[in-house]
Amino acid sequence: MLSRNAQGLYWISRYLERAGHGCRLVQIQYRALQDRTVQELDRTWLRLYRSLGREPLGGRLGSNRDDDDFMFADAYTLTDDLAFEPNNADSIRNCIASARENARQVRNVIGNEMWTSLNLLYLDMRDLAVQDIWADRAGGFFVNTQDSIRGFFGIADNSMYRDNGWHFLQLGRFVERAQHMTALLDAQLEVFPTDRRHAERDWRSLLQIAFARVAYSRMKSLDFQPGAVIDFLVSDRLLSHSIRYSLEHISDSLDVVSERRPLAVGARRRAGRVAASLDYDWPNRDPGDDAATRATLGSIRDACRRLNEDIEASYFNYDIEDTPR
Amino acid sequence: MPDLPQTGDEPPPEQSLFADYRYDPRFYDEMFEAKAAPREHCRDLWNVLDGMAPEEIAAMQERAERSFLQEGITFAVYGEEGAQERIIPIDVLPRIVDAATWDFIERGLRQRIKALNLFLADIYGRGRILSDGVIPVEMILGCPQYRIEMRGVSVPRGIYVALCGTDLVRTNDGFMVLEDNLRVPSGVSYMLANRGAMRAALNKLFRQYRVRAIEHYGNLLRQTLSELAPRAIADPCIVLLTPGVHNSAYYEHMFLAREMGVELVQGRDLLVHDGFVYMRTISGLRKVDVIYRRVDDDFLDPLAFRPDSQLGVPGLFYAYRLGNVVIANAPGTGVADDKSVYAFVPDIIRYYLSEEPLLANVDTHLCRNPDGLEYTLDNLENLVVKMVGESGGYGMLVGPASTPAERDAYAKEMRKDPANFISQPVLDLSCAPCLTEKGASPRHVDLRPFVLTGRETRLVPGAFCRVALVEGSLVVNSSQGGGGKDLWVLPE
Repeated sequence: MLSRNAQGLYWISRYLERAGHGCRLVQIQYRALQDRTVQELDRTWLRLYRSLGREPLGGRLGSNRDDDDFMFADAYTLTDDLAFEPNNADSIRNCIASARENARQVRNVIGNEMWTSLNLLYLDMRDLAVQDIWADRAGGFFVNTQDSIRGFFGIADNSMYRDNGWHFLQLGRFVERAQHMTALLDAQLEVFPTDRRHAERDWRSLLQIAFARVAYSRMKSLDFQPGAVIDFLVSDRLLSHSIRYSLEHISDSLDVVSERRPLAVGARRRAGRVAASLDYDWPNRDPGDDAATRATLGSIRDACRRLNEDIEASYFNYDIEDTPR
Repeated sequence: MPDLPQTGDEPPPEQSLFADYRYDPRFYDEMFEAKAAPREHCRDLWNVLDGMAPEEIAAMQERAERSFLQEGITFAVYGEEGAQERIIPIDVLPRIVDAATWDFIERGLRQRIKALNLFLADIYGRGRILSDGVIPVEMILGCPQYRIEMRGVSVPRGIYVALCGTDLVRTNDGFMVLEDNLRVPSGVSYMLANRGAMRAALNKLFRQYRVRAIEHYGNLLRQTLSELAPRAIADPCIVLLTPGVHNSAYYEHMFLAREMGVELVQGRDLLVHDGFVYMRTISGLRKVDVIYRRVDDDFLDPLAFRPDSQLGVPGLFYAYRLGNVVIANAPGTGVADDKSVYAFVPDIIRYYLSEEPLLANVDTHLCRNPDGLEYTLDNLENLVVKMVGESGGYGMLVGPASTPAERDAYAKEMRKDPANFISQPVLDLSCAPCLTEKGASPRHVDLRPFVLTGRETRLVPGAFCRVALVEGSLVVNSSQGGGGKDLWVLPE
């Protein structure tokens, strides 16, 4: 498979995963809009923005913590910033446009159905502005966009030949997801430290973002204990949005794509090491020590970033001198 | 999609598609032989279309265009506001060609491409045709498309032009070749896309007519390219080289790569090492044997041609000269579709094949000759003047449609560099019915069949039929706002 094609597939799914995650964050935030106080909302917006590593336009996050008169920004502005802001490279629309641009580059290796679903998603939102979606307070736009993204992956699941191309699509998706989850958990611990008393719903909504609320109740408890929630989202092997689950899929796909490329083992080793540390070191941590937990999350996140660099260097932009022909 | 005409408050009477069709005997009509008298092979089509409600036809048109947009079957048009992505409008009324006519076209094309390949081998080899004085030497050597670098290069099977897309027009006097496109002709994907849309839209009629299939084009293309492989390799590695997503025909490049099951590469995916061409794959470098390039000569290799090219592959021409890779079409084929050389193609056919050309040429005046220039300047308002190196309808003056000021400006350019211009009479291009707001109306059309040459010459029975969508316009080029329609070739 051509390196550029592999790279294109990898980035299609990274961008779509990113857009889907952004939509999910806003969707859960919208639910909160209905019945929370301004101060509470402010904290969940803060969690959202911290997890994206972004400062919103028009206001410094957290500046109004002790000031009842000042709301750092309103939901309308923030929605626009997250969905359509042209200067926000990770806005939903920019992510979809980037995914489509990558798809255009690799159209000959994806099916017509995959292309069409992505192209339609793009054409539908190309000319939208925040006022067009604002009327729908339930966040229909964000729900529908997530549906379309899932539709794309569904078509890929059903139609793609399971060769290297498929595995690069998987890689992009799970590398992106693992990074999001570490960032989100880190932001959660920053905004809602476990030693302070907080409403249970701040932890419930965290689970909701990761599609884990029902599974948690069923498998763990009806008591949304911060330590248990974090543990579930980090190390559960069956939860599709847990970090451990993403690492497992990354490792599986790397096994396949490195089969004919023995030099490219760096990425695989790195993924394996992080997975092993989650299996053997993570359970020994002190759940009450937020600083230690955040440090661990930081190192996982760092490893994921390097994983991306390893993949780029091993498969897409490798040196020609040390390559077999 | 144009709205249908509203005639008034009362419901409009059931208007048939051809009720207002203005048959014009000055132009050959592809569907009618006289007013309201369809040609025999068009009668069933006419019956079916005429029996359809206008809304039904409009819906068919809309469905076809929507599917093009959704699938991204688009074409970039370069204009003052940069490149715009738009679909090539499809007209849903098919054009039908009967078996005998197609047979004639096919024989004519085979003859022409055979002669042109011999011509290219000759002018890049011993140059007999030049020393025999059939064509002026200075015209060939002075042509910007003549690649001196190609002198003495051994080209597999002597096939310089593996793919061409010849533009044919029909007048009351029969078929004529308007242009041989021998460099990187495009349009074949639109031929196939139009077919896909029309087969779905008029399925019953399509089967009834037993329209000949064209869907195996990708197969034939791959077979042709395999036959050109540098050595006898069982399964040569073929790639399609595209300038990238910003090229106007990117959709087509993608489409053809997929039809053939080969990689679609850009210059940066390829590299030359020890005289061989490789592509960068996730499992290391892989040797490439045949390159179907959709990049112009100038941009192929910055070491051999334009040094500022970002699209090409440094060293590619070196590998080509060594015979380690095949480039199709070969560099330098543009000299044979230069608009002044065009005037000599009938002589070229006679010279190499000792046959009379089957397909006629359009009467062409070369402004490089003083007589030709004088004649052209005197009759500017009745002629079409073209620049010899241009294509796609750029840099062209259509005399009858021009203003005196435009003609003056153009004449000034012509006097500066007469050899850069040719003129031709305004052709009475044939018409075919097209769907407009007023039902079916005649519009001028041409056709571009695609000829493949490897071990043998092959073509699918079909063509990209181009339509000048503006009433009375003779310009069918997609880059100038032309559209397309499906061409049905009938079995014997």
